[in-house]
Amino acid sequence: MPFVADLATPGGALLVLAIAVPAIGVLAAFALGSRHAARIAIAVVAAGFALAVAVAARVLADGAPLVYVLGNWRPPLGVALRADGLAAVMMLVTTVVLFFVALFARADFATPAGVRDARAPLVFWTMLLAILAALNVCFLAGDLFTLYVALELLTFAAVPLVALDGSAETLRAALRYLLFALAGSLLYLAGTALLYGAYGTLDIALLAGRARADAATTVAAALMTAGLLAKTALFPLHLWLPPAHAGAPAAASAVLSGLVVKGSYFIVLRLWLDALPAVITPAAAQFIGALGAAAIVFGSAVAIAQPRLKLMVAYSTVAQIGYLFLLFPLAVGLAHPEATAITGGMLQVASHATAKAAMFMAAGLVYAALGHDRVADLTGVARTLPITVAAFALSGIALIGLPPAGGFVAKWLLLSAALATAQWWWAVVIVVGGLLTACYVFGVLGRTLATVDPPPPRGAVTRGREAVVLGLAIVATVLGFAAFAPVDLVQVGRPPVAGVPR
Amino acid sequence: MTEFLLVATPGLPLALAAACVLPAVRVRMLPLLALAPAPGLVAALLAVHAPPATFGAGLYRPTFALDAPGALLLGVAALLWIAAGAYAATYQRGAANPGRFAVCWLLALAGCLGVFVAADMPLLYLALALLTLGATGLVFHDETPRARRAAALYIGLALCAESLVLVAMVTLASATPDGSLLIRDAAAALPAMPGRDTTLLLLIVGFGVKAGLVPLHVWMPLAHGAAPMPASAVLSGAVVKAGIIGLLRFLPVDSAIAHAGSLLAVAGMLTALYAVAVGITQQHPKVVLAYSSVSQMGFVAAVIGAGIAHGDAAMPLLAAFYAGHHVLLKGAMFLLVGVVAATSADRLRGTLVLAAVLAVGLGGLPPTGGFIAKYAVKGPLGDGWVATAAAVSAVGTTLLMLHFVRRVQTVAATAPDARAAPGLAGPWLAMAAASLVVPWALYAMLPLGTAGDAFAPYALWAGLWPVLIGGALAIALARWGAGLPRVPDGDVVVVIDGAVRGASAATPRAVAADAVLRRWPAATLLLVGIAAALAAAITAGRG
Repeated sequence: MPFVADLATPGGALLVLAIAVPAIGVLAAFALGSRHAARIAIAVVAAGFALAVAVAARVLADGAPLVYVLGNWRPPLGVALRADGLAAVMMLVTTVVLFFVALFARADFATPAGVRDARAPLVFWTMLLAILAALNVCFLAGDLFTLYVALELLTFAAVPLVALDGSAETLRAALRYLLFALAGSLLYLAGTALLYGAYGTLDIALLAGRARADAATTVAAALMTAGLLAKTALFPLHLWLPPAHAGAPAAASAVLSGLVVKGSYFIVLRLWLDALPAVITPAAAQFIGALGAAAIVFGSAVAIAQPRLKLMVAYSTVAQIGYLFLLFPLAVGLAHPEATAITGGMLQVASHATAKAAMFMAAGLVYAALGHDRVADLTGVARTLPITVAAFALSGIALIGLPPAGGFVAKWLLLSAALATAQWWWAVVIVVGGLLTACYVFGVLGRTLATVDPPPPRGAVTRGREAVVLGLAIVATVLGFAAFAPVDLVQVGRPPVAGVPR
Repeated sequence: MTEFLLVATPGLPLALAAACVLPAVRVRMLPLLALAPAPGLVAALLAVHAPPATFGAGLYRPTFALDAPGALLLGVAALLWIAAGAYAATYQRGAANPGRFAVCWLLALAGCLGVFVAADMPLLYLALALLTLGATGLVFHDETPRARRAAALYIGLALCAESLVLVAMVTLASATPDGSLLIRDAAAALPAMPGRDTTLLLLIVGFGVKAGLVPLHVWMPLAHGAAPMPASAVLSGAVVKAGIIGLLRFLPVDSAIAHAGSLLAVAGMLTALYAVAVGITQQHPKVVLAYSSVSQMGFVAAVIGAGIAHGDAAMPLLAAFYAGHHVLLKGAMFLLVGVVAATSADRLRGTLVLAAVLAVGLGGLPPTGGFIAKYAVKGPLGDGWVATAAAVSAVGTTLLMLHFVRRVQTVAATAPDARAAPGLAGPWLAMAAASLVVPWALYAMLPLGTAGDAFAPYALWAGLWPVLIGGALAIALARWGAGLPRVPDGDVVVVIDGAVRGASAATPRAVAADAVLRRWPAATLLLVGIAAALAAAITAGRG
């Protein structure tokens, strides 16, 4: 059983390291200055990946979650870190994406020669590491208050990335993001206060056993969820997301869209599946699924109409976030919930994180080459940047959900869950969403593949950077081979039948 | 050995496509296109009924296998891909973007042949997706406005069709024993599964689009008309058979789904006749050929449907045999169009005589390959209304193909003494010969029937009279056909055009709505509203 955290398990110290290493990295980067920050960041992210692999291997080998109890104080007094299959998968995805993004960003955030310390590179690299630390706390924290701290840390690390160039426009966008995220935090905090008042604990495992379906718990769940949705930018609460992407550097957008919104999403998952499964009702799951469906249709429609590539990709995120929420009606509050829905949903998270990060970086290279990213004027880019366009195509295929990409397996599992639970309407949404994605992906691809003489300029785009983007796109493409794995990591630590109080 | 062949069938084209990442390889790939289908051809000969090749030990194990209908279609499709690949090496020489052409060609090839060897559903879906992507690139290749529109329509319809097939696959996977993903198990589970009729409908519509059944045939005239000549040949000859093999593999001959068979027979025969009616109003020879393909695929669908309705266990192989003849003949005809376009009118006589024989052969003229193909499917068609409709469609096919022979002369080269290069004429003649010889060879090799019966006077007359009537009608069409209305190619595509226009008009509205939703007052209200709605949903759900 998960979250029966009486004592730390062997290997639990890995979890502390997963949080402490990036935190130390932040301090080291500040101390040594921007000249060394890039190297520190890449080394720390690589170490983070190694730790994630170690945690995943441990979780798989044990077939049970890893637990570490800070200072040996048991919950509810103490704070526990727990890594189940869900957390291990998220740690892996996060570190892989961050690694590719860091390699990609070296060129954009190098400290110029002759300058001792540059502001933008220092901020970028330290915030990148702070995001890693915050996300790992999101994935590992065992209580709702630590999760609140992680959420705040995540927001404060992400906001500066939006305004790296310091222009008035990006500052406005950053402020917009900050204020809306703060509103979300307030709602979340209010919810935790209600829960603490009612049950005297915020520990997820203890709450799962104690939570009653009363008014206070209902209000708490609603407030916390709404707050998290605001931070996740689920339609129609996406006001901050498009402007935040409009002026952010490609690497920052990749992190923001690929990873940061997954942090708050993951907490919704924890809240609904692990903390309050006895409180959440199917009607609520249908409602949140409906928001997801609206996000898919609406986000895609707006993406199709975007004149700028980057904003098109940003609205694609609005649509794809909707996909993530289809997990809830398929996994929560049913008499016979489908375990495949959770695996499918997590695979969708991984697929979107890798594919979308690759897509933003590809769009960034296109911008760097052409000096613009007007969709209408992308003709012939495939001649100039074939590797970048190949990366865009592969990540697009992953988003559409064609095999062998992870998105395909995710789609298969979600469809299977929808049909097995006789909820055919979600199957329709899943299929239509893929087709709408195809509209904008192939619309762009068709333009880039057109012949134009002379081919557009290449600018200063190096083959190395193109290769990094292609590498991440290939990761997204081969994620489907997760289906070949003999064991399902996601399910480790899930109860035999999810959604039933423990 | 057979395992290797089965994997190499789609594997070699894919590997060649991957090698095109290197610019130096990319620009030199055209001459290699003819070699890429070779493993498929060998597999068709050696790997029939070999034990399935299964890989890995995980939850999903990709499986390759080849049944008799699949092997037959794989073999003739590989032949066409080889001939068309050789033809493309000449036809595309000096044309723009040889690298892009080669990559799209190889992806389509990998998908097309992969469809025949894929034994499990995810693998089949992968093959279909590769096929769609590659074929779209081929249709798009010339980049004319027509080509762009055709490519957009093609990929749109193909992805929609594949989505339907995907839903059917997922449903089937829940009904198979132990959640098996094998197509064979899915087909076995189909007749008794819950939600059977919905699944049947999804399969028939999904694969029906791929095979061009009316009214979802609209992409075929446009795509096959717009693609470069060798690409049209493989699209119209081999690629459309993905829909046929899909129907053959997923729909078992089982009395429990006889109603679905009848439905398919009706849809198929309607398609066969409707496409002739529209085809004779077309002027461009490639579009006429494309309508003929629509008609022929309708005919094959009718054979499949009628065979299921009658419970004819021999149907799958016979239907594949008929479709196999069409692969060869239609491929040859498209290659012919390019040959004619490179030859001056006064040098065309011999070519046209051969073309006319082949053309009428599709209508069933004894003793061509078309005659034996038509003869072979008499059993599954039965002797009810479907058989009558089949005879009428043979008349129509003769008429349509003679119309093609007349129209193809209009594209002859204007330069005096122009002569098609050997690289074009060779593949055309090879395919023409194959379409005459290979069906008879297959008929002799496979347990389809005895050749002696086919030459009984009654059988010969049954093959001959529709051709005679069709010929007479063709003369009438040539004389008085000018008065026929000119139907735009793609006929009912105007409906889809309208729908796309409507949907496109909606996107600016979504953008406007988005601007409103993203204002602070709206977003804050929505945030509060969503919190309240969630609380209400949680409470209401509990009651």
